[in-house]
Parts: sequence; structure tokens; C-alpha cells
Amino acid sequence: MVPLRLVSKNLLKHKLRFVLTVLSLAVAIFLLCVLRSLVVALNAGVADAAANRVIVQSKVSLFVLMPQSYGPKLAQVNGVEALVRWNWFGGYYKEQANFFAQFATDPKELFDVYPEIYLVEGTKEDFLANQKSCLIGAETAAKYGFEIGDTVPIISPLYPKSDGGAWDYQVAGLYRSKKKSLDENTLFFHYDYLEKSLEEGVAMGPKDVGIFVLRIAPGAQPVDVMSEVDAMFENGPQAVQATSESEFQAQFVSMVGNVPLLVSSIGGGVMIAILLAVLNTMLMSAREQTRDIGVLKALGFTDGSVFGILILQAFVLCGLGGALGILLAKLTEPSVVASIGSMFPGYQVTGPTILEAVAATVAIGFLAGIAPALRARSLTVINALRAVR
Amino acid sequence: MALVPLSYNLRSLAVRWSATLLTVFGIGATVAVLAGVLALQQGFETLFTESGREDVVVFLRQGSTNEGDSVFTLERSQILTKGLDEAELGADGQPLIAGEMYLAVRRFKIDGGETNVPIRGVSQRSFDIYGDGVRMVDGRRLTGGADEVVVGSKLVERIRDCQIGATLLLNTTPFQVVGVFESDGPFSSEIWGDRDRIGEALERPIMNRVVAILKPGTDIEALKARMDEDPQVPSKVMTEKEYLTSQTEALSFVLRGLGFFLAVVMGTAAVFTATNTMLAALSSRTYEIGILLAIGYRPYSIFLSFLFEALVLGLAGGAVGCLLALPLNGVDTGAMNFQTFTEVAFAFRVTPQVMVTAVVFALILGLVGGTWPALRAASMRPTEAMRRA
Repeated sequence: MVPLRLVSKNLLKHKLRFVLTVLSLAVAIFLLCVLRSLVVALNAGVADAAANRVIVQSKVSLFVLMPQSYGPKLAQVNGVEALVRWNWFGGYYKEQANFFAQFATDPKELFDVYPEIYLVEGTKEDFLANQKSCLIGAETAAKYGFEIGDTVPIISPLYPKSDGGAWDYQVAGLYRSKKKSLDENTLFFHYDYLEKSLEEGVAMGPKDVGIFVLRIAPGAQPVDVMSEVDAMFENGPQAVQATSESEFQAQFVSMVGNVPLLVSSIGGGVMIAILLAVLNTMLMSAREQTRDIGVLKALGFTDGSVFGILILQAFVLCGLGGALGILLAKLTEPSVVASIGSMFPGYQVTGPTILEAVAATVAIGFLAGIAPALRARSLTVINALRAVR
Repeated sequence: MALVPLSYNLRSLAVRWSATLLTVFGIGATVAVLAGVLALQQGFETLFTESGREDVVVFLRQGSTNEGDSVFTLERSQILTKGLDEAELGADGQPLIAGEMYLAVRRFKIDGGETNVPIRGVSQRSFDIYGDGVRMVDGRRLTGGADEVVVGSKLVERIRDCQIGATLLLNTTPFQVVGVFESDGPFSSEIWGDRDRIGEALERPIMNRVVAILKPGTDIEALKARMDEDPQVPSKVMTEKEYLTSQTEALSFVLRGLGFFLAVVMGTAAVFTATNTMLAALSSRTYEIGILLAIGYRPYSIFLSFLFEALVLGLAGGAVGCLLALPLNGVDTGAMNFQTFTEVAFAFRVTPQVMVTAVVFALILGLVGGTWPALRAASMRPTEAMRRA
């Protein structure tokens, strides 16, 4: 039997020390959650990718475009139901620091190929009707204060205006996505508007297409579509690579390089630092309790209950710290999204992350509690009572 | 005023060696994580800034921030290369100025995954300009007009088809890898080939930047102002050093931000730990403090004595942190240059600056963590302190 009151009494004996230990644990678990969530966010696009979409891009480079003539040819491929063009615009709002993604795309087809997109403000009809209009991710709009009807000036080094000015887009809608496969921090505008401006000489830049996204008909095999597309342009003029959406997203994760490794190393460092700290606290308080342990054993408490008291102290301490850390991570979610959401779209402290944090907490509690608890169990009454502090 | 002998603190730390060690390693792990992130940032930044030359200038299209964005038509680059009076003359009496093509191409890493490798289309003129900055270390030089490439030394072990004798497929044209070159700067992560052949293979009849060596004594500011308003080829002129420094801004900003965030968050946890250790030290040494006060030491001396002890803990933690981070020095890693979206290989650099920052950080942790316990120690009354034990 473990006297539970004794556990709480022991923990609260040094209140400040107790609070500080819980807080440092909370900070560490908070940090683990944040770091883990960043990695999860990086991979979110892969996890949420749709199976019925095929991405066609240049085989050579992300920065090489494909001729417009590929579009109609791709639409002819067996099993292709719908097709949407995307062109990276690479611009910024007022200053270069104000960066978010902009794409020229086919407005109607965007909705056909990406059923996960939905408008939280404005209407699809307004967007379709006005060639100079755009859709903006709700988060991005909130960050910069864009509202329906506003004109958003964008300067693009890739597509400079002949007069040196900015491109103006009227906000027709604020969108969100039901899945992480579509970024929520983007500005979408009419491909036709871009094309028209280039043809009229209002702006300069390449007329070709960045990527084509194909929607595959139910029953058709994406693999067949991909190999047919690859073979179709094998001899140029631009060789292409057709991939599933998840491969396409994974490609970006791979390009970011060692970030997951870096983040895990940092997480490892945090774990070690905090384990040492908690272990320290537990050892210190166990040493101070040596005499109490002697008294308990003299009164007839078994080795098992003494062991239980000490290990429970460690678990309670870590449990509190861990819970606080997880809570903190969850509470700061919106502010993290606001500050670095454009670099880590889809940042979220997910259920699995929380489970991992709980596991880390329990592990720290166990590792920090086991040594003092074992020592207390094996202490003889006489040695414990004789102990000098 | 008499100070408490410092040996008193040192011996106290030695007596409580297990708590001391745990605290030191706890602070050490925190410091090591910070030092690691800083070493990463230093490695990246040195690679770019230290290899940039002041007498080499880079011409970009106005409004572009990097050579990936910048485009010159062949005609415009010709006008530039033929008409720049400020260009130094080479041994052959011709000006040292050259157009270069640049593109980030998709390549596969040897250990799996994709990455973006910069490919640079050059002429013999580029080699003349960089001189010793680009040294062949294996194989032979490029032959003009041939389907050949030479690869940067950092690619050989990382990227598929970047070994001498391998065939590198660009769009539909195979190129032969004939040599390996070395450079102190980011060139060592690039593939170089004949610019006309590469331009043809990639169907990119353009130049992305123009580089030149200036005659000694050229007024760079005047050149910048003139080219900014040049009627034929308005362009943005930067020294190579300025250009390379500007390339590090995005990643350095991210790494510095990450370092700062970690320093604050992990530092908070470490301060709590240090405070805890000192508080525990205090409670077991109350009796000693009573004696110190009784034999005439002033509270102020007690305060300094305990603060000194905390600083020693911090210093030792800082030293351990540096030792833990030191093996990272020279370890190769890769990171994304966000400006051009290409991966650059470089080594961690645990510079003296990194170590000083780490130690100062550790001392601050000790100082902040030790202040409150030291104040508590100083405010004890001799009679009470001796009685409490």
C-alpha cells in the first residue's frame, strides 16, 4: 500500500523547488511538441495527398516550364477527367519580407480538381466572373488585413510589369482547405489574366506552364496515366515527369534537406537536458527523505510501498509538467501559425504528437524516479536512520 | 569587507558531486544545442561571405534577388559583355567579363530522395575570372562546345551521376562528367558545363547573370548608379561579396531565429534547474551559512559567495557544452538556400565566436539561476540558521 498523502506532502515540502521542476519539465515538453509539430507540418502534404491526382512537371527542374501545347495533349490521355494549370508567380506584397505563395491557375478547374477547397467569405461566382480577381487563404488575409473587395498589389520579379508597377488583384474570396494537401496561405488568380497581360505586352515573362495537375477518372489507374504521359514527351521538347501527388509533396520535403534530422537532434538535446534536471531533483529530494524512509520502514511499511512512494513522486511531478507543456503547445498553436505558418503550412499539434509527448513524459518520469526508488527500497532501517544529511 | 574564500564553494561543489555533475551536464546539453545551431549558421554564412570577392561584380536583371530570378536575353548579355569599359583586360587583351546561365536542376541524392542542384553554363571566360577560386582536383577541364560537365567536389559523394565517367542526362541530352573542381564557396555544390551546349539541351537561350572583374580603382558606386539607369541593359550591380552575402539572409534569419527561440525556451528550463540545485545546496548548508554569519561574514559576502558558486556551475556547463559541440566542427551537412531553392553543402563551424556565445550564455544561466538562492542565503539570520539544522 502506498500512502498517497505522503506523496503529495513530500512533493510540496519545498514548494518553490517543486514549481520550478514542474515548469522546466513543462518547457521541455512544450518544446518537444513544437519541434515535432514542425516536422509533422512538413510531412502533412504527403500524408493528406489525394490518390486520384497526378502532377505533371518538367523532368529537368522545378524552374523549367512546359509548353502550353502540352495541356490539350494531356487532356486527351485516357483516364484524365479534368486538368488544371499552375504557375508559380513568385511575387511579394509591398516588401520582399511579405512573402506568401501566389499561383496563376484555372479558376473553374481549380474547384473541379481540388474539392477540398471551400470559401469562408465571398463567392465562387464572383471569383469566376472577374478576371482580375483572386482568392486568398483565410490565414494570409487575416495576417495582412485583406478583405473582400480590397485590391492587393503584388510585385513579381518573374513577371515584371512593363511600367515597373505592381499587379493588382481584387479579393473575391477567402478560402480554406479541408485537407493539408492544399496550402492555406496562397493567392490564386486567373491564368487567363496572366496570359492576356503577357500577350498585350503589359508585362514580361515566360508564357509556359509550371505544372499540370490531372484528375484521374474513377476506375482508371494513375500508374497507367503516369507512364503514358512520361512516354508522350520522352523526346522533348521538354521531358516531363508525372508523379502521384504524395510523391510530388515528398519531393519538396526531401529538398528541404536535413531539417527533420536537425529538429530531431535538437529534440534529443532537450530530452537529455531535462532528464538530467529531473533526475537531479529526484535524487536531491530522495536524499533528504532518507531519514523519513528509515522511519517509514521502522513503522512497518514494506520495501514495495517505499519504492512506490518515490516512483509515484517522480510520475506526479512529470505528469504535471508534461500536461502543462502539452497544454502550452496547444494554446500557442494559433500564434505559431500566425508567425511561421507560411513556412510550415498546416502546423498543428496533432493527436499522435501529443501521444509522443505523453510517452516522453512517462519515460522521463520512470528514468528519473527509478534510481532513487530502488535505492530507497534497498535501504535498511538502521542505515537510513543513521544517515547524515 | 572579507569575502568568503572561494575554495569553500569549490569544495562544496565537489562534496555534492552527483548533483553538481547532473546540473553541469544539464546546462551543458542546453548550451550544446544552442552551439550546434549557431555552428550551422556560421558554416553556412562563412561559405558564402568569405569566398566572395570585392573586385568581381555581378550583374542581375533589375528587381531580381538572385541568379535564379534574373534573366538577360542573349542580345542584352552581349551588349553588356562587349560594352563595359570598366572591365579589366585579361592576358589575351580581351575584357574579363562573361555571361552565365544558371538553373536549379532536379537530381537524386545517393542516399535517396531528391534535391535541387545548381547547374551553371559557363565559357572559358568564367574560369579566367574566378582564377584560383575554382581549382580542378580530378579529371580534366571542360572542352568548349562539347557535351561535357565538371562537378563541384561536394557533389561527388552526395549526388547520383556526379562522378567522373558518369553520364548526366539533362532533358534529353546526355552529358559526360569529365572532371571535379574545388572551390571555397558555394560553387563546390554546382555542376558546370559549356553554356551554349547546356542552353541548347535545356532549351534556355538566355543568360542569368553577367560577371566581370573590374579595373583597379573603379568607382563601384558610380557603376551601380549608371547601370541602374542604363538605357540598353538596366541592371542591378553588386560585388560578388555583396551578392553572396545577400544569398545567406533568408537561411541565416531562420537559423538565428531558431537559435534565439531555443536559447530562450531551453534557457528558461536551465535557469529553473540551476535555481533548484542552488536551493537544494542552500537547504543542506543552512547550518554552515549560520556559522559563516556568526563568525562575522557580512550578508553581502554570503550573497557573492553563492552567486560565485552558481557562476562556476554555469561556466562548467558552458565548457561541457562546447566540448559536446566541438566534434561537430567540420562535419559536412547540407542546407537549403531559400533564395535559389538549391541545396548547398557546407561544414559546421564551431568558431571562437560560437564558443564565446555559448559560454556567455551558460554564465548568464548560472547568474540568473543563482541570484534568488544567493539572496535567500544572504538574508538568513545566524541564530535561526544554526538552529534550523
